Amino acid sequence: MKTKVVLTFSPEASNQPITHNLIAKHHLLVNILRAEIDEVGGKMVLELSGKADDIRGGIDYLKANGVGVRPIKEGVRRDDEACTHCGMCVSICPTKALTIDLKTGKVSFNEDKCVACGVCIDACPPRAMEILI
Amino acid sequence: MTASEFKEYVKANGIKKAAKEVDVVTTGTFGAMCSSGAYINFGHADPPIKMQKIWLDGVPAQAGLAAVDGYIGATALDDTNNVMHGGAHVIEDLVRGKAVRLRATGYGTDCYPRKEIDTYISLRTVNQAVLMNVRNAYQNYAVATNSTAKTLYTYMGKLLPEFGNATFSSAGELSPLMNDPYYRTIGIGTRIFLGGTQGYVMWEGTQFNPGAPRTPNGVPKRPAGTLAVIGDLKQMNPEFLKGLTFTRYGSSLGIGIGVPIPILDEDMARYCAVTNSDILAAVFDYGQPTRSRPVLREVSYAELRSGEINIKGKQVPTSSLSSMYKARQVSEVLKSWILKGEFTIQEPVQSFPKDRPLKTLDVRTEREAV
Repeated sequence: MKTKVVLTFSPEASNQPITHNLIAKHHLLVNILRAEIDEVGGKMVLELSGKADDIRGGIDYLKANGVGVRPIKEGVRRDDEACTHCGMCVSICPTKALTIDLKTGKVSFNEDKCVACGVCIDACPPRAMEILI
Repeated sequence: MTASEFKEYVKANGIKKAAKEVDVVTTGTFGAMCSSGAYINFGHADPPIKMQKIWLDGVPAQAGLAAVDGYIGATALDDTNNVMHGGAHVIEDLVRGKAVRLRATGYGTDCYPRKEIDTYISLRTVNQAVLMNVRNAYQNYAVATNSTAKTLYTYMGKLLPEFGNATFSSAGELSPLMNDPYYRTIGIGTRIFLGGTQGYVMWEGTQFNPGAPRTPNGVPKRPAGTLAVIGDLKQMNPEFLKGLTFTRYGSSLGIGIGVPIPILDEDMARYCAVTNSDILAAVFDYGQPTRSRPVLREVSYAELRSGEINIKGKQVPTSSLSSMYKARQVSEVLKSWILKGEFTIQEPVQSFPKDRPLKTLDVRTEREAV
């Protein structure tokens, strides 16, 4: 199975070889979708593939080492009330998580494709997109 | 029927039958319309004040009328240039029924001795609150892209580097003036859908440019006609009036506008049968910060709506600034009003000028200006 997670690190946790451990000790395929680090810690978006037990084990390992783990669905949220379905976000979303249905004119947000890059946040005129990480 | 339905009807039944069977076509658009604002009469305080400076939730409103009339523009910003809360957002807050802080100062006169006031108003407490927009519903607009190496933040939205995307702004075949390209049925006094209620066309819009180049079927290929519109803010609906923010540009007002077009004859039926494939717009490089940018190419709205256009050999993803979904909603609501007899078609009391050159602003001497 596959799952996407958002990791947040304290500065201490940033110094550990966590991706290596996920691969070597928990037998997971790790696809780094996004990673950044600054003085207050780090943030990483990973796609983990492997057996369900291994994924669970990997996530437990991360949590035990002070890494915040959240499902990607909690990464970016759309306020459906605020969205006007203009589609401004559609051409800038690098993973095509935001698409417009040409029949209905409605913009849909596919959270499974979102990597929480945040490019859409300041491009949205009614400010309907919110990044939570 | 709505403009979308009419185009389908013409495809199936031809122009002749459509002209005979259909009375009215309802158009619609919902987009960022910067040249918008509202005038408000706040009522007189005791002791009274002649307002010289006015702020609504910190956003400056125009005074300089009589004592308690003010005009708040959609793009007005507070002292910190907070683009997240400009005049457009204040107008939306009012329409949502919220209270807005009014601060005003004056110099004090014998008849208006008060020099300042700090209070709250809402649409319930004021006398008139009227949306009065001097340029809305552009008949066609530009397509924006960016050739430079850095992201640009413009009134056409976020433009990614190296032709990373392209944005456009017209509702295309649904847009009011696209369906009446020579302004035969739309003029001063036309009753319209404005922000969720009934409003009126009050004049040609500013920068009205009927002489823009057109395709053989009359559809302008560049920004052409515009509408100045007016309507009662107290009756408007936040579904169709929304404060917008364009990062590092400013605020703007998203408004739904719909115009009913009577099918007077076969010519009108032909105009209203226009589809996105027939409407062309020019692609401009907003990386060039000048008044006259070169045209990179012309594209049809059908191509723009497909999600990708080709610019200089590159497939470039496209985005619309105006909402197709809301534009359709506008045309459907307007149609339902007409069917229920709540909205009657108003013939214009005067047509727009056929000829109006578009002027530019140049630095000139007093003598050259006369």
